[in-house]
Formats: sequence, structure tokens, C-alpha cells
Amino acid sequence: MKILQGIAAAPGLVISTAHTIHPLPEVDVTRQRTDGVQEETARLTQAIGLAISQMDKLYSAANETTADILAAQREMLDDPELKQGAEELIATGLAAEAAITQVTNSYAEQLASLPDPYLAARAADVHEAGRRIVAALRGISLEVRLDHATVLVAQDLSPAETVGLDTAYLQAIVTETGSATGHLAIVAQGLGIPAVVGVSTALAQIDEGTTLIVDGNHGTVTIAPDEASRAEAMAQLAAAQREKQDLEVYRDKPGLTADGHRIEVFANIGSLVEAHKAVEMGAEGVGLFRTELLATQGLPTEEAQFAIYQEVAAALQRPLIVRTFDIGGDKPVPGLDIPAEANPFLGWRGIRLGLDRPEEVFLPQVRAILRAATTHDLRIMLPMITAPQEVEAAQSLMEQALRDLEHEGQQARRVPIGIMVETPAAALTLDQFKGLIDFASIGTNDLTQYTYAVDRTNAHVRERAQPLGTAILRLIAQVCQIGMPVAVCGQLAGDVHAVPLLVGLGVRELSVAPARVPAVKHTLSTMTLAEMQEMAQQALS
Amino acid sequence: MTEHILERTITLASKSGLHARPAAVFVKKAKTFHSQITLSKNDKTVNGTSILAVITLGAKQGEQVILKVNGEDAETAIDQLAALLEEDLG
Repeated sequence: MKILQGIAAAPGLVISTAHTIHPLPEVDVTRQRTDGVQEETARLTQAIGLAISQMDKLYSAANETTADILAAQREMLDDPELKQGAEELIATGLAAEAAITQVTNSYAEQLASLPDPYLAARAADVHEAGRRIVAALRGISLEVRLDHATVLVAQDLSPAETVGLDTAYLQAIVTETGSATGHLAIVAQGLGIPAVVGVSTALAQIDEGTTLIVDGNHGTVTIAPDEASRAEAMAQLAAAQREKQDLEVYRDKPGLTADGHRIEVFANIGSLVEAHKAVEMGAEGVGLFRTELLATQGLPTEEAQFAIYQEVAAALQRPLIVRTFDIGGDKPVPGLDIPAEANPFLGWRGIRLGLDRPEEVFLPQVRAILRAATTHDLRIMLPMITAPQEVEAAQSLMEQALRDLEHEGQQARRVPIGIMVETPAAALTLDQFKGLIDFASIGTNDLTQYTYAVDRTNAHVRERAQPLGTAILRLIAQVCQIGMPVAVCGQLAGDVHAVPLLVGLGVRELSVAPARVPAVKHTLSTMTLAEMQEMAQQALS
Repeated sequence: MTEHILERTITLASKSGLHARPAAVFVKKAKTFHSQITLSKNDKTVNGTSILAVITLGAKQGEQVILKVNGEDAETAIDQLAALLEEDLG
């Protein structure tokens, strides 16, 4: 038995067997072949054929956003010039994997040097095509196919990889890299499975098929647990199971305090899978759709966005608040040229980028939302707002989009517009936004970071930020004075200790990870509004 | 069998030019013909069945490309492929 310490990224406890995914070893691009030209060429042809048939399978299972990327990658695998280039190198003495890697590297370089940033970003697709052929040559599958209950152990998982995982078998995730607030943590929390990230030696220490106890509450991974550890984990699991059954009771009930005051419990999502999860857990709506998670392969087109918003709204059949792209220097988007910044959290991000580059970023998204809103209850939420002028600018772009759509004969509908309150500037001056906005939602993660001047990804200082500190509570109390519905959509909203305080301060909607919805409803039902208000008053002073 | 060499100058309709998606649609279609197919822009001529070569042309919406088709099914090929380039493929 051995216990590895990592970072707790998503809560829960699981005992299951490990499925390890090792990254491909580096290709030696000068490696010489040991077989003759004909045999080596035949191996290449066979590997390309295999890579294409694997891609065809992936393509048939893909959703609309990823299908476009996969269609281009498939044609790259099946590119006659790519094959011919590699065959010429094989003829000069190189091994197949060295040859194909050299050719894909050279095409990737050519693409990367093109002036059009979108085309330049396709370099990554060529590298991916090369990687797939190399994997086929080595007889390694890149597909994560789960056919039994499994803990996935990997170096890292990209957003695209996590979206494609079969959640019926996925029990837990362990990765070597990552942080407590990274995308993997958000995805795992949404799916309600434990995750431990930052276990730097995981792949070296965990063998395929080993039994693991993954404790997402404490960030530990126990390899080959002994009888005592196993028994203890089983007892904890049984207790958690009982608690879960209790929570089921609240799943289909509206959020109510003990004395019957209505508090809406919404969910935060980033994908269609999470939308289904939100419905399953009894969320009353979606208070935060993180659309930047759709942009991991480049900004999706208006049509692709229109399709996904319709799909998500149709799955929900309840209100859907779409936050416009919250991207910036720390979350690079392929094809969108954002210069590197010394302080990306204080930089060209969120609404700032959207308003400064409307044709590329803001307008296609707003048009897609307005079009999808003809059949569903959609609302727009703007990130990183600091002043009313930004909302005015966004509104005039929305009006322009409505006029253009009408002119083009497209169906569209005006939607309610709200803001994220995540800067102290917005929190302190929210009264000046009255008449401009229909709702406000406090993003406690960023508000805490900007209020305490603490980078939440910096391990040396992150303990200094106090999500429930007086500074934050006073800001929230002030925001709630505005006289319109105020929501909280940060991680704080899902913390059962924070829920009574937030409601006591005046918050009337809590938007949380889908798996947290029943627990939050349960907490609401245990106290009266007056009790929560008293608790909040004590905390404020 | 007589060889047909046909050539047509086309103004690209796709909003994003010959980006990955339109290029994928084009080469997929091009591969279904026996004819040899090339695309040219300015003085650069590339194999019309190679997505990598087609993308590196960097052709944008409204720019002119020359489609050249050489082979037994040239007539069908040039009509169908020209139609694709003249259609907005996104």
C-alpha cells in the first residue's frame, strides 16, 4: 500500500481499478529503418488506414462543434502529399514514424507561418494527425475507451478529451498536472465524480489494473490499499450513500427556506453533458453557461454556436443564462491572436476583448443567442464588467445584431441582459447600472481574487484570500441593495456553510455545480430566512 | 479514351475562404474523381486532393482561384467542384 498526495479537485470517494493513459514517447526524427523500403512503406500505409478508420468512428460519435475539426483532421490523415512526402523520406533510409513526423512537422511549420491566425492554428491539427499515425505504427490506441468501472490516470486531459469520456464507467480522475480551479476540476465537479490532480508521479507509480482509493475530499490516492484502509473507505462510502438517498428527496423540489421563502437553485455548466446532469440533479435553471469551454479548438462559428445553444436549451427546458466568452491571455484560444500579458487576470479579457473585437468575438455569439432565443428562454450575461458604459456598448451591439438579423430575414428575439459582478468596481457602483441590466450574478471566485489581490492559482498566496471574509460579505450585502434579483454563481454558492450567509445577505438565486444542487436545497430547508439574516448580520460586523 | 483538360476561374464564395472546413469538403469530393485536379492562386499550383496543400494556398473569400481538371471524368468533375467553390461552405 502506498498513499500519494495531490490536490483535491472534485469531492467524493471511490474504490476502483486504474486505467492508465501514458503519453506517447517522443519520436526520434532521425531514426533509420531496419526493414526494406517496401516493408516500411507497407507499414506506413497500414497505419494510415488504421488511423483513418479510428477517426471515422470518432467522427460518427462527435457533436457538431467537434465534427468540423475531425472532418479536417480526417482529410489530413488521408492526404496524398503527406503520404508521398513520408514515402520519399523512407526511401532515403528513415523509419516510417520518423518520416511521417518530419513531414507533418514541416507542414505544421508552413501553416504556422501563414498570416491568417485561424489557418496558423491548424498547425495543431497537423501535429495531431502525425501523432495518430505514429500511435497506429506503434500499435497504441489514443482512444480512451472505458468498458468497465474505472479510475482514469493520465498526465493531463484536455477539455475535448474529457467531454468525450463515457461517464457511465468513469468513476474518478487522477492527473499528474492541473490545479484545484482548472477546467478538469470544473468538469469533474459537474459530473459529480472525485478528482485528484497534481499527483506528479502518478503514471510512474500506478500500474494498469491496480486497485485505487481516490479521495477527492482530501486529495489522496491510495495504491493497492490494505484490508483496514479498504474497510474504512467502504464504511465512508456507505455513509455517503445514505446521505445521497436523503438528498434525492430534495432533487425535484424547488429551493425553499424552512419558512417557505423561494430561493432558486440553478446549475453552472460548460457542455451538453453537464446540461443533462443539471436536469438529472433537479436544477431549476442554468445560472452560468461557461461558453469559453466551447472554444478550446478555436472560436466556434455563429452556426455552430446556434446549434449548441439550441441543443443545450432543449435539453434543459428551463432558463439558460449564457455568459459571453470569458477568454483572455491566460486561456489562449487557437486562431484568436491575444498577445501574452504580464498580468492576464488584469488584462485584455472577458467583455473587454468582446467589445474591442466585436466582429470576431462578440457579434457572432450574440447573434447565435438571439436566434436560439426564439424557441427557448435564453438570457445574456456579460463577464468582467467594471462600468455602465461597457453594458451600454454591449447593448448597442445587441441592437445592431437584432437589426441585422431582421434585415437578413432571420428569426430572433430580444433577451434579458445581466452582468457578472466579479470586480470590486462593479460591486461598489451597481446602483449606476439600474435600468441598464435585468439581473446581476456575483462571481465569487474572481471577486475574492480581485478584492484580496490574491492570484488563486499561486500556491504561496492563495490561503490569504478569504472567500467568506468581511470584505467579500460587505460587497455582497451592498450588491443585494440594488432592488433586483441577485444571484451568486461562484464556488461559494455550492458551499453548504456559505449558503445561509449568502441568502441572509439578500441573495435570491444560487448557481452551483450540478452535483451540488440537492445538497444546497437541503441546506436551505434547514433554516428560516430570519435565522439566516441574523447569521449574516453577525458575520458582517 | 480521349483526355479532357478543362480549366475554370472561380471567385471563392465561402465566408472564411478555403479554411479547414471548406477545404475538407472540397478535397473529399475531389478524391471521388479519376481526373487529376489542381487549384492555383497567383502563380502557385497545388494538388486538389491534398487538404494540406489546399489550405496553404491561403485563399480568401472573393479571391480568384483557377480549377484545372485533367482526365476521363473531367466534365462532371469540373462542374461539381466549381459548384462547391461557388457555394458558401461556412
